[in-house]
Amino acid sequence: MTTRDTAAGSAAPPGWGRRLELLADRKFRYLLIVPTVFLLLSVTVFPAIYTLIVSFQDITLMAEDRSFHGLMNYQRLLEDSRFWWSLVHTVGFLLAALALQFVLGLLMALLFVEWMPGRQVFITLLVLPTVISPIVAGSAWRIMYEHQYGPISQIIGWLAELDNPVLWTADPTFVYPAILLAEVWQWTPFMFLLLLAALVNVDKSQVESAEIDGSTYWRTFWYIVFPAIRPVVAVALLIRSLDLFRVFDKVWILTQGGPGTMTELISIYIYKVGFQQFQTSYAAAMTFVVIILLTAVVVLALRRMGVSP
Amino acid sequence: MLNRRVTWGAALIAAAAPLASMPVHAQSASERAAEAAKKYAGEEITITWEAGLQALDPKNFSIPKWEERTGVKVRVVELPVGEMFTKTMQEYRAGTGAYDVLNVVPAWMPDLAQAGALEPLGPFIDKYDYRADLEGIAPVYRNNWMTYQDKVYAIPDDGDQWMLFYRKDLFNDAENQRQFEQEYGYALEPPKTWDQFDDIARFFTDKYGPELHGAAMFGKPPYAQRTFQERFRVAGGRFFDPETMKATINTETGVEVLERMRAQVDYMPDGVQQWGFGELLSAFLKGNVAMVQSWPPFGRWAAGYGTDSEPLSWVPATQIAGKVGYAVPPGGASQMAVGFSLSVASNSDQKELAYLFIQWINSQEISLQRVQLPYALRDPFRESHYTDSEYKSRWDSAPEYLQTLKDSAAVGLLDLSIVQTAAYQEALQRGISRLWAGDDPQKILDDVAAEWNEITERVGVERQRKVYQDWASKPNAYP
Repeated sequence: MTTRDTAAGSAAPPGWGRRLELLADRKFRYLLIVPTVFLLLSVTVFPAIYTLIVSFQDITLMAEDRSFHGLMNYQRLLEDSRFWWSLVHTVGFLLAALALQFVLGLLMALLFVEWMPGRQVFITLLVLPTVISPIVAGSAWRIMYEHQYGPISQIIGWLAELDNPVLWTADPTFVYPAILLAEVWQWTPFMFLLLLAALVNVDKSQVESAEIDGSTYWRTFWYIVFPAIRPVVAVALLIRSLDLFRVFDKVWILTQGGPGTMTELISIYIYKVGFQQFQTSYAAAMTFVVIILLTAVVVLALRRMGVSP
Repeated sequence: MLNRRVTWGAALIAAAAPLASMPVHAQSASERAAEAAKKYAGEEITITWEAGLQALDPKNFSIPKWEERTGVKVRVVELPVGEMFTKTMQEYRAGTGAYDVLNVVPAWMPDLAQAGALEPLGPFIDKYDYRADLEGIAPVYRNNWMTYQDKVYAIPDDGDQWMLFYRKDLFNDAENQRQFEQEYGYALEPPKTWDQFDDIARFFTDKYGPELHGAAMFGKPPYAQRTFQERFRVAGGRFFDPETMKATINTETGVEVLERMRAQVDYMPDGVQQWGFGELLSAFLKGNVAMVQSWPPFGRWAAGYGTDSEPLSWVPATQIAGKVGYAVPPGGASQMAVGFSLSVASNSDQKELAYLFIQWINSQEISLQRVQLPYALRDPFRESHYTDSEYKSRWDSAPEYLQTLKDSAAVGLLDLSIVQTAAYQEALQRGISRLWAGDDPQKILDDVAAEWNEITERVGVERQRKVYQDWASKPNAYP
């Protein structure tokens, strides 16, 4: 080491060593999160990219043709009315179920927000359907709708003095009410729980002030309570929308998409194409379009909620 | 003296030499398989089997016997029948080698064989001298369910078919016979045609309803699409034009079949459109229905055979034991609905052992015991099953049951079995569900035919034509 070197070293800014330490520290921190990031990428980004790649190929039951086929599957998709109808069914089912779950969940939350005897017990009982596996819930509802011995047919038949049982899952008039009822029964409690938690945290003093000032219940709710719970409502609606978009189990158990294709949701159609008919690439193309649509909806929803994605 | 001994000894050796190179015929097929499998003692193979009652055969009976005999372990993976094809293909495509022995529904064979998921069994059959034993399988199963484009991929292991069960007591009742003949102008006997079936069913429903209906049927679309397949062919229908491969189900014949199916609902129990196996069985065993067309276990359980065993505790107690007659279905043909064969998975790393298990379990000796298990869902499929004296003594009318089973199987009609069969069946199922929802039969069949044509285009007309012609050339594809 020369005198010059020594002089240069001593001339370095006093914080240099500290900076190096910080850099090393930051690198170490990045190093620590690498496995997690890698894991997350491998289970989220990789399947999405792989789905995209497969959608440009022509993998079917008969041949694993991995050559590039351009937009062949996407072109087919544009002409596939069954795909678009299944999207329409899904959106219709989503909107109906979401509206019912929200209204019922909110009413239940408003009912239970004040103390009442046995409140905790009731809440626990009400939440029970959400812990049941959807496939089990679907099977239970299938038994409920059974035309000979199912309690629903028995009770309604008795009340309405019907000679012929209603074929809940085969009759076009009743099939949507039937699957909606099953869905609403299972997931309204989830909405109820979230909304109840939000309502409990509404500033009581503001509500009391409004009441003292002579505000009606409805006005208080609309101008004070609802704005306070709005962020939770938005998140609850978003979570349920995403869940409803991918509903499969219950509808599969109850109708398998029938009668005809009347209750064929997009998840059911993709399952049939991908896993019963093994048109893997076409199913991948449909899946990718659904991913794009959902991503767009979620981004818009988050923006609307003031959350930057 | 010594020379004489040597000469005799040489002569004996010379005589015995050819025998040494011949298969050991002293052993049965099951013994040969078990003996050969002993060298794999301690190893394990995995087999797929339909979940539930079906799987009790391997789990409770066959596997313990096999393990005791060979020391080879067998793991059963139970799959719902609706998921079996998907799981089999998924594991094959993923290359996991998860399964060694496969239960294969014959209608899937073109798909599985074309995909390469099934191992050709010919070399194993020759090596272990199983051809003679295979000759004992009833021709209808042997000639139709074993091969795909002249290669053996599967060994039939189940005698599935839909035969007719009817209430003998009602048919033999003198008053019923007199009234029926007076009303319809012919004798009350098991129906030979679907017109007769309708007459008889209406007669019983009118007379005994609503407690008892003249007939019931499988209305659930996955079942009822097979009803359509059977009746359409019985009426002279053909699924495709063999030259153009255009679907030909939307003809007048097809429409008439659908119209008849819908009209039959009128004299059947309410809600029959949603009936599957359980509903039909329950109604028949309780004595609420005079005629049903179904799989063979209906006959055994209606007689009370095995229904006191624990695995069959869910079967309703029969109210009609001794009152059931058996017949070939109207139209003179029975749908060979579903059925099971056994195959070796092509990506198994224990192919030989897997085959040996199949030979053992499917052999005349072992299969005869299996089809008589009280909880068996494997139905008689060998000539020896139909004629076995022990089986014939199981209940009073067992000889008649077995004879009818044999007669009905002989005129069996195969499930449609081409490339992408599941897609064609699924389109037809949706058509049936639209039928029950009230749609116009002609419109339904036009739509199904259009979908079938689309599927054929996608598969490739030429490729599908070859597979269809192979299927259509089988003796029991068309009546």
